[in-house]
Amino acid sequence: MVAGKKDESIRHAKEALDGGVRALDAIDHGLVKGMTIVGDKYAAHEMFLPQVLLAADAMYGALDVLLPHIPKEESAKRVNVVIGVVEGDVHDIGKNLVKTMFTAGGMTVFDLGRDVPIENFIINTKEKAANVVAMSTLMTPTMDGMKQCVDGLIEAGLRMQVKIIIGGAPTSKEFADDIGADLHGISAQDAVAKVKGAL
Amino acid sequence: MMTHIERVVNSLQDKPVDRLTTYPIACGVQRRLLSTPTTYAEWASDPKKYAAAFIAGQRAMDYDFAIGLMDLSVCAADYGAGVRMDEQNTPFVVDPVVKSPEDYEKKFANVPDPTKGRSGVIVEGTKIFVDAIGKEVITAGFLEGPLLILTQSAGAEKVFMDMYNHRSAVHKALSDITKFDEVMVDAFSGAKPAGLVWDYLWGSYSCLGDKEYEEFESQYARGLNKRTADKGMAFCIHNCADLPHLDTQVKAFKPAIYSMAWYPLIPGSPSAKETIMKGYSDNCLMAGNIDPQAFVRYSTEKIEKTTINLLQEVKTALCAKGLHSRYVVASGCEVPPALATKLENIKAVVDTTKKYGQVACA
Repeated sequence: MVAGKKDESIRHAKEALDGGVRALDAIDHGLVKGMTIVGDKYAAHEMFLPQVLLAADAMYGALDVLLPHIPKEESAKRVNVVIGVVEGDVHDIGKNLVKTMFTAGGMTVFDLGRDVPIENFIINTKEKAANVVAMSTLMTPTMDGMKQCVDGLIEAGLRMQVKIIIGGAPTSKEFADDIGADLHGISAQDAVAKVKGAL
Repeated sequence: MMTHIERVVNSLQDKPVDRLTTYPIACGVQRRLLSTPTTYAEWASDPKKYAAAFIAGQRAMDYDFAIGLMDLSVCAADYGAGVRMDEQNTPFVVDPVVKSPEDYEKKFANVPDPTKGRSGVIVEGTKIFVDAIGKEVITAGFLEGPLLILTQSAGAEKVFMDMYNHRSAVHKALSDITKFDEVMVDAFSGAKPAGLVWDYLWGSYSCLGDKEYEEFESQYARGLNKRTADKGMAFCIHNCADLPHLDTQVKAFKPAIYSMAWYPLIPGSPSAKETIMKGYSDNCLMAGNIDPQAFVRYSTEKIEKTTINLLQEVKTALCAKGLHSRYVVASGCEVPPALATKLENIKAVVDTTKKYGQVACA
């Protein structure tokens, strides 16, 4: 997986299950550790975006094999994250990196995609029993959508059940504070660390 | 007092100036200075309105430069990508042209006509504002590099993965797009701007390492850089990514002007002082790095203070390096074209530079 070889990653996941390894153990001791290596190498500029994206693709391939084998009671214990790029923006590489690191961090991520209307964040926060709402944007005019989402979560009575993290080039800790978000992430790894620290 | 052009020409040669040069990269936002209400979509589709905004901006703000940046969907649109253009927002690609690996070889094979589409708008618009204000300020056209055009047309994530999954197909597309960029260089040269600014956005260590950058951009860029100079335009670079490839883009490419952004929260992002002290201003007029968000969210007093602080940092570093003038007070990235951007903050940066931009080394 670290080398971005999706077919081999899928094959190893199947072999692990066939060999009696619990799916959760395969994730925690295989994929999570692998993506931690990828994240560390990316932070150290030893790996770059293409390799990270290929490794993430390989991870998702293996997860598709492993996740159906996690017992429901184990799934219920996991942290649920709703993530998306706010309405009016389609730049999603950053969001996808954060999604990958949340996933590698053992969280269950519900990716709403890009250009996501506010109401979709709110509906999914409720339906998925989210613990975390993560929003990103690269564009200034769409930043106000983040505030509207925070306000919408308050109006829906969901604000107290979630930690809200925002990110993206034009955002800042100051802006996060202004709109009532809990956290501001400056990178994918930073986002995961801050969310884990806040939960 | 020097004229704008005298000041920039001296700065390019690191000769003494009456004050440092300034250009907050205000482009689409200047449509709001037009006498008739103009949406972003109208501004980005009509060369006369496009040019009129730069001319109005010069009259209102009194910059040292006029650089014809539109947005990063221009070339992708002319390759057939579906672009969503909201009335008051920066347009973006919603329907990339590459759906399969074969599309890399097919979709870029024909060079778009630089007199048509939005490329035609930006070339013609540049000519109009160069004709109008080119004797007052240093003007420049603005063009996306091949890799940026490809990622905008095909989707960045897809291209990055296909660099490995379909390497030869990606190179075929880049080679074809380079031909389009060559045609665009020639078209811009007909508009006679003083310079041409290349957007080489992916030269960022957050995205590509040296090896990938050489393979997927530098080898194509070198010929375009030379062609720009051969056609009589000063070769310049804008790169607002974090962690830019300064050794390649400044020291190896040797642009006349290099515009960059500073991300204080990102470890390793070089400040103005660091870029000067590490020698990047030794042979290049470096430009940066007021946070574009300051034009939206700061009070006028706060952005004045920010500009004063940047000037002090730059002047101290220039003097320490024995330099006189090789820095432009700019915005790193484009001043947001949003309705919420405070036009008075753009003016404040220019006026503060005029007031406090004198370099007097001990």
